[in-house]
Amino acid sequence: MKILGISGHYHDSAAALLVDGVPVAAVQEERLSRHKNDAGFPLAAIEWCLDRAGLSPDDLDAVIFYEKPTLKFDRVLTGLLQGWPGSWRSYPKAMKNMLGEKLWVRGLIASQLGISTRRVRCIEHHQSHAAAAFLTAPTQEAAIITADGVGEWATLTVGTGTKRADGSSEIRMLRELRFPHSLGLFYSAVTAYLGFTVNEGEYKVMGLASYGQPTRIDEMRRLLRPTADGAFTLDLAFFDFLGKVESGYSSRFIDLFGPPRKSWQPIDLRNEEGRRLADIAASAQALLEEVMVGIATNLQRETGLSDLCLGGGVALNGVANARILREAGFARLFVPSAPGDAGCALGAALYADRILFGQPHKAVPDHPFWGPEPDEAALFRIAREDGIPAIASDELIEDVADALAADKIVGWVDGAMEFGPRALGHRSILAAPHDVAMRDRLNRDIKYREEFRPFAPVVAAEHADRFFDLPPGGARLARFMSGVVPVRPKWRSRLAGITHVDGTARVQVLDREMEPRLHALLEAYGQRSGIPVLLNTSFNLAGEPIVNTVAEAYSTFRRCGIDLLVAGNVCLTKPRAVRAQILENVA
Amino acid sequence: MGAPSLQGDPPREVAQPGRGTAYFGDFFGMVLRPVHRLIWADPQRRARKLLEFAEVEASGGRDLVRAAELTDDPVLRARYLVHARDEARHADMFRARGRALGKEATGGGKEGLADWMAPGERGMEGLDLTREKDADLLAFLHLSESAAARDFARYARVIDKDPATRILFQRILHDEDEHKAYTRGELSRIAPHRARRVLWWARLRRLWKAYLRFATALAGVMAGVVLMVQYFLLLPPFVWLAKRNAKREKSGWIFVDEKAPR
Repeated sequence: MKILGISGHYHDSAAALLVDGVPVAAVQEERLSRHKNDAGFPLAAIEWCLDRAGLSPDDLDAVIFYEKPTLKFDRVLTGLLQGWPGSWRSYPKAMKNMLGEKLWVRGLIASQLGISTRRVRCIEHHQSHAAAAFLTAPTQEAAIITADGVGEWATLTVGTGTKRADGSSEIRMLRELRFPHSLGLFYSAVTAYLGFTVNEGEYKVMGLASYGQPTRIDEMRRLLRPTADGAFTLDLAFFDFLGKVESGYSSRFIDLFGPPRKSWQPIDLRNEEGRRLADIAASAQALLEEVMVGIATNLQRETGLSDLCLGGGVALNGVANARILREAGFARLFVPSAPGDAGCALGAALYADRILFGQPHKAVPDHPFWGPEPDEAALFRIAREDGIPAIASDELIEDVADALAADKIVGWVDGAMEFGPRALGHRSILAAPHDVAMRDRLNRDIKYREEFRPFAPVVAAEHADRFFDLPPGGARLARFMSGVVPVRPKWRSRLAGITHVDGTARVQVLDREMEPRLHALLEAYGQRSGIPVLLNTSFNLAGEPIVNTVAEAYSTFRRCGIDLLVAGNVCLTKPRAVRAQILENVA
Repeated sequence: MGAPSLQGDPPREVAQPGRGTAYFGDFFGMVLRPVHRLIWADPQRRARKLLEFAEVEASGGRDLVRAAELTDDPVLRARYLVHARDEARHADMFRARGRALGKEATGGGKEGLADWMAPGERGMEGLDLTREKDADLLAFLHLSESAAARDFARYARVIDKDPATRILFQRILHDEDEHKAYTRGELSRIAPHRARRVLWWARLRRLWKAYLRFATALAGVMAGVVLMVQYFLLLPPFVWLAKRNAKREKSGWIFVDEKAPR
């Protein structure tokens, strides 16, 4: 069967294509439209997926949307009614939003693709998350937790998944928490309070948390209280999910924690205000971890299973993931490369294939590389036109390792683009991880971002334990950079560029089979430095999506302090004189 | 790419006699001057508008980068990248000044101008850059820069009591003039025989987009009024039911699977 999965209309739209039970293409719309977190209908992503497989819309057996719009409308309308008359500002906006387009998504998809609406189906949001987490994971039976802001009604679900010997698959949802009681919305409200953009700045809260102490956790517990059955409930007096959609916190929240930070105010961790914000971040983070560990522990005891699959936006919280792995009793924790809404496109397609249509389970290749591939020849042409020195060679690895050892910063484009928010070795900026100066240089000259945000390392799997204190099962969690683990104390000074203030790092543990060229580069770099670890950050500038094509990589290379651009076997060097000349020629 | 100091080299004065006359000849500028003066008189509103301008400039810069990535013309690629760098610098300058003003202001945040009231230069106004030809894009950019220059000159003239912001506008206006010149020059280079036609076509498209923005805003207001009437007149009975049901909801887990252990 040929099944197209679509997610969209909220944030981070995406499309994924399944042919005979196996993914052949998946890409986020933002990578093609070049609008970060593009929430629009993912037409470009759909077109690319179909082109990749050489299919037309008529060839599709089914198109699956990742959530049920009528259920979502039910939740939105009910919420507005319950919030009456305080919801008067939100009502027109929400109704125009839902009635204008979102409620009619089956018709929209059918008209955009020129197919019958009978071939378009919708499944529930958290079923999509659960399928993305479980059906892509190399496990036969696992407990499943999905947690995000909100889907239709559910905000957090627990269940189990089974792949049987006869090829059938089952995902069984046991119970769920419903809007407005949401861990994701709780964290998003704190994100907004701290002056970061909701659905984008949550990882900044996690980074900031390491600089603080959870001194405000008791106050946080007034916001989010445990229930007798092991779940939790939000005290809605502290939140305003209807009145202020962009923030979500109420005036009582401000009374409790003080004035919120404005987005343009800098965070200076040396002064009292900066420390107050860091303490609030630390307290929210600690509470989120506590809740997630509690729910996971109960689920492990209840199911007796050794594997846990985690999906939903909350699964991007690597600190919480690592605590779950250490404390909840599971031997392995699987987080897909795209646990957020984008990954739901793949999850929806897989759910339809295995569950709705009862197709036999097939193992999904255990890598995140489902996107477009770079055109090396195009890069060579552009470089020649612009007078940038370029070489094409089959043996670039040694040269690149030399450059990294000489403290050069490398833009690395290699093979199909990652599906998900992390750069896992195909669209990465690589650098030596040893000192703070490199981190500061990256922040200043390339990423233009806050100093409290850490950079992540990538390490060859064979050497991971030597440098990082991985818990049992930690290598698996770190396969897609989904866990934050301690850097071993003896290496912290020599890995200062990637060691966060609390001695941890969000490490990627790289198997040779998953990405042989980057693995070879790590080995070559290890031979020179004695440490086969590199700093690995996403290949993009602030406010832009990760690069897709070589032209985008090239423009990024031209606009920032990257010294070398490598795309497959083509390498561009940027001498200082040329860099100055490029900008001055036409200025 | 830090925010340049506003105390650095003196900017080229844009309200020069020749140009100034041209701008003063602008009928709308004359008519709207009291409105602009009123808008820009309040430091809070000034800060908010400058921060919004920063977003517009940053967005325009990203669009220009995209244009550079898509063009096959190496000269245009280089031009667009330099232009994008300028836009990013303008964004930094607007942001720095907006923040400086905002320190004294209690407002801020995202609320503010509707899209149709944004300044003349609105990024690429939703153009699909993947489908635009170089000539069309240059024509569009030329007109966009001209509109931005006109708007910024108007603003600079009405900000009497805030010399730092006035100097900021004048500095940026200097760049906008250069952008106008290069886009016109490049348009003549790549479409020598049809540059004027392309420019007129671009003017018509801008007019159409302005109409669409206005019509969308008007439709939005009308829909808002209808929905608001509905909200207060039709919903109350359903509100009562919804609130009654909300009271009955128990907290904690909702069991989805009937066979699940409780």
